[in-house]
Amino acid sequence: MSVRAPVTELENLTPGGVPVVVEGGEAKVTGSAWKLAAYVFLENRLAVLGLAFVILVVLFCFVGPLIYRTDQINTDITQITQAPSAAHPLGTDNVGYDVLGRLMVGGQTSLEIGLIAALLATTFGVLWGAVAGFVGGWLDQLMMRIVDSLLAIPTLFLLLVLAAMFVPSVPMLIFIVALVAWLVPARLIRGETLSLRSREFVDAVRVMGGSDFRIVLRHIIPNTIGTIMVNATFQVADAILTIAALSFLGLGVPPPATNWGGMLSDGVSYTFAGYWWLIYPAGLAIVITVVAFNLIGDAMRDAFEVRLQRR
Amino acid sequence: MTGFLVRRLGQSAIVVLGVTIITFVLTRLLPGGVARAILGSRASPIEIAQFNHDNGLDLPGWQQYFYYLVQLIHGNLGFSYRLNESVGGLLQDHLPKTIILLGISTLLALAIAVPLGMMQAVRRNKLEDYFFTSLSFALYSMPPFWLALILIIFFSANLNILPPVGPQGAISTYLDPAQISALVLPVAALALVTIALFSRYMRSSMLDNLVQDYVRTARAKGVSTSGVLYRHVLRNALIPIVTLLGLSLPGIFSGALITEAIFNYPGMGLLFWDSAQTRDYPVLLGVTVVVAVATVVGNLLADVFYAVVDPRVRIAA
Repeated sequence: MSVRAPVTELENLTPGGVPVVVEGGEAKVTGSAWKLAAYVFLENRLAVLGLAFVILVVLFCFVGPLIYRTDQINTDITQITQAPSAAHPLGTDNVGYDVLGRLMVGGQTSLEIGLIAALLATTFGVLWGAVAGFVGGWLDQLMMRIVDSLLAIPTLFLLLVLAAMFVPSVPMLIFIVALVAWLVPARLIRGETLSLRSREFVDAVRVMGGSDFRIVLRHIIPNTIGTIMVNATFQVADAILTIAALSFLGLGVPPPATNWGGMLSDGVSYTFAGYWWLIYPAGLAIVITVVAFNLIGDAMRDAFEVRLQRR
Repeated sequence: MTGFLVRRLGQSAIVVLGVTIITFVLTRLLPGGVARAILGSRASPIEIAQFNHDNGLDLPGWQQYFYYLVQLIHGNLGFSYRLNESVGGLLQDHLPKTIILLGISTLLALAIAVPLGMMQAVRRNKLEDYFFTSLSFALYSMPPFWLALILIIFFSANLNILPPVGPQGAISTYLDPAQISALVLPVAALALVTIALFSRYMRSSMLDNLVQDYVRTARAKGVSTSGVLYRHVLRNALIPIVTLLGLSLPGIFSGALITEAIFNYPGMGLLFWDSAQTRDYPVLLGVTVVVAVATVVGNLLADVFYAVVDPRVRIAA
């Protein structure tokens, strides 16, 4: 059986995994490691709240436009910067788009870029870190010095240089954000690989004739899944913030496409006009989404890390 | 200690070299080549050939890199044809202003975050701890530019007590009574995010130290609660904060970029942002090198300090 399985309340389990009946005669939840992790996760009320918010935001952005239909392609100069009314619950922006509808469309871009960039960055970073940590020697040194050097350049500076060099489109933005984001998972997974590669199970696979390739892909990486998933969740939150910052600085997706950061960028000029509907909704959407992903990440860390379960 | 220093210095040197390789590769990736990117699309072939020759761009790749490195070592960061000034000269003008902004806000953040984190650790899981934990969580998840916007709306548009634009003119006038109010909002916008981050770490660092055996020993020997707290726990809890300060340098620089862009604060971040919009590549790459080197040096200093105050680090490394 897997020794490193994240198990809740380790002290309540006998070595065979049979739950000890605790006071009150109630048996603790048992089952696979995944089930136990899910149990700890769901026990955390904030995490469930975070998950609920993510589902709500996804529904709002992707199902919302099917119910609340607005024209998000053609501008309407006769309807600019109107205050919220029955026709436009959140008013209209500086070129006449309905803000509520725009929030949905912009959210789609924000979420898509955030999720895909995080997925790309995590996949690449994990492979990079696992290979560096497993092979070791000069290759490890070389690979990690590349990571160190890229990490030395503050994220936003590197992003702005890249965004200035390459014309931003959604795929290009995903690529640029992922290019900067893979460094942290690479470092984390290398650290874990270093401690995993000297374990007995690695020797066992080798004795059985498993290739290095197999060891890394089938044994080392699956053992770091906790770290990977926790980091990936935070990556999504970070990517959404990064893409918002980039768009706010004027180097995001070109219109009529938009995202929450771009909406804020358009609303800035009306700060002193009192057009609050151009500033608060988009900002709040970012905050809610990022907080939700951060809550989920925190809870997953608790669920996966046995050490922290004392809390 | 000497061995540690030498090893750590060597690592930093390699990372700095790595950064120059990255910026060098970036210049090679410029659309249409370096000369086109800098001289513009209307440059004649003769001008381009002359530019390439002057800047060693007609040499083989490794020689170009070597040439670039020699230029950097001599402090030649490039020349902005758009602003008709050397990048070094531009930095001389803008860098001190950024240092003022970062210095004041970081010191302020530390002065608030350290006592705050300490209080939260001592009163953990009480009402005030929950309050400040949620507050820092919210601040931490907030896009920094949105926070700055809210500050502007509240203090400039609604209350009309603070200017929405950072100080302008010569740097010597920044702390004059007439200009000082212009510093308040940029400093606050930067400091609030840093406070949120640092107080969280300070809290957990204090909590880690509060359960150590030395605390119990000191208590058993009759040291008062505040004595243990200030003389023993605080001093040990501050050590990781120094490392954190080094590690968060890139984040602080990125924050300065956004803050300066919003408040039109004429520092390095604003220079960088303007250059990104006008595609002024020499400035972009020159500033990137400077910021990266500053980050590496900051990390090095933090590590060395860590090793000086905590002997365990030296022995382990």
